Amino acid sequence: MEATADRLAEQKYSFDVVRWFTIMAVVYLVVGAAVGVYIASELAWPFLNFDSPYLSFGRLRPVHTNAVIFAFGGCTLMATAFYTVQRTCGVRLWSEKLAWFTFWGWNAIIVLAVITLPLGLTQAKEYAELEWPIDILIAVVWLAFTINFIMTIAIRKTSHIYVSNWFFLGMMVMIVYLHVVNSLSIPVGLFKSYSLFSGVQDAMIQWWWGHNAVGFYLTAGFLGIMYYFVPKQANRPVYSYRLSVIHFWALMFGYVWLGAHHLQYTALPDWTGSLGAAVSLAMIIPSWGGAVNGMMTLSGAWDKLRTDYVLRFLIIALAFYAMSTFEGPVMSLKTVNALSHYTDWTIGHVHSGALGWVAGISIGAIYHLMTRLWHTEMWSESLVNVHFWTATIGTVIYVVAMWVSGIMQGLMWRAYDEYGTLAYTFVESVAAMHPYYAMRAVGGGIFLLGAIIMLFNVLMTVGKASLQGSLREARGTLTPAAA
Amino acid sequence: MSDYFKTDWAAMTATDWVGLTLTVVIFVLMVIAYVQVFRPKHRDSLEARKHIPFEEDIEDIGDNDGGK
Repeated sequence: MEATADRLAEQKYSFDVVRWFTIMAVVYLVVGAAVGVYIASELAWPFLNFDSPYLSFGRLRPVHTNAVIFAFGGCTLMATAFYTVQRTCGVRLWSEKLAWFTFWGWNAIIVLAVITLPLGLTQAKEYAELEWPIDILIAVVWLAFTINFIMTIAIRKTSHIYVSNWFFLGMMVMIVYLHVVNSLSIPVGLFKSYSLFSGVQDAMIQWWWGHNAVGFYLTAGFLGIMYYFVPKQANRPVYSYRLSVIHFWALMFGYVWLGAHHLQYTALPDWTGSLGAAVSLAMIIPSWGGAVNGMMTLSGAWDKLRTDYVLRFLIIALAFYAMSTFEGPVMSLKTVNALSHYTDWTIGHVHSGALGWVAGISIGAIYHLMTRLWHTEMWSESLVNVHFWTATIGTVIYVVAMWVSGIMQGLMWRAYDEYGTLAYTFVESVAAMHPYYAMRAVGGGIFLLGAIIMLFNVLMTVGKASLQGSLREARGTLTPAAA
Repeated sequence: MSDYFKTDWAAMTATDWVGLTLTVVIFVLMVIAYVQVFRPKHRDSLEARKHIPFEEDIEDIGDNDGGK
């Protein structure tokens, strides 16, 4: 029944653009993780800079973040959003041309990022480094993505809009105005501009964007993936639809307040940071509600985890989602923030969310898509298994290294001797970090190995489908009447 | 405690009032959302929607022109 439905869907919906976004997502996962491992290695073994400005940590770090967040994450979101909106609304995409414009436009932005960032062309805003002409292109392409999604919902055949589409739509609307406001700047040349804001207002706008990029792009969008792909892979409806509705509205109303918790103990008014921390704590409730909702979808069918490695990716991702949405609010508290801020603990927290949650749920969804879009099983189930363990072990090694390193840093920086002077110099704290930086590079390397295995398996699956002619068969031979 | 909650209303700027109004409105909307979603009489109609991802697999696919 499932295979037949997928073949009918092949004839009914626009899946070519979804297939291309899916493949590019895996390519960018490898590229982004590879750059990440390289810059992690630079911190452990600085000779890897080779005294070249183009290879320096400062220039390659935004290449890494842009590649994993916007190239890998963006292609995953666009593939899954275009796929689920068609299958849950019962109609083709409103405009295939606009979908292809989105694909080529998004990839052009990624290429421009890879060229300009190593050249040092940057606005120096975290997660929004790209210069103003590329910012305008991002706004145009993102609007094309959003309009196509909204219009597909508008022409739907179902009476209700399934909850995954709500999360995708919430992400799209919020990212439009977050990106536009944060990118407001005065150009002084083709590759140079200055922010429209200054001082503490500039910092507040930056972190209003920065945390909402996490909240709406890396959370709401990927929750849209979770609410469709976990039930489909488990072959069971989501545990509670009512909980998913509350999860959605609480996330939409709550997340926008949190940015100020990035600016504790700065020139920002004290109450603003306290408000950010208070709402951060409140956000544990909907976040855990969503995580439990996803996990409890397997209630009564936990045995599926023994054999289904794709499901394992999806469920372990939810475990990391629950963990990092607890850790984040704790770190936002002023007492904890006094220790954790500016240390590697933040890097560990970010990567438990990025590798564990975002990459985990994406990888699970991509494996699910591979079998549905190419109408064949994965080339190697064993390699999916190997990938699961390399991704999980690599993530744990990375995160543990940064937790230990970060807490040690924080404690060393604020240790005083009996005379009230600092017990350690900054250089001593840097030297103490070396084993953990090496450990982080190893953890990242293991994760990268898994990503390379995934790319190989994905390409072999495409080749297998081509040899079998499974895609051609699904496109042409089955008709609704025959089914 | 009363000092902690003391507010100088005369010093409130237009921005403060907009922020306060938004906060109160969002709080009220969230209360309404919780009440509506968890009302027992809405349970069946809301929970029925969780089957949407599976309904396409058993339905006749109908026309394939996107409703145009």
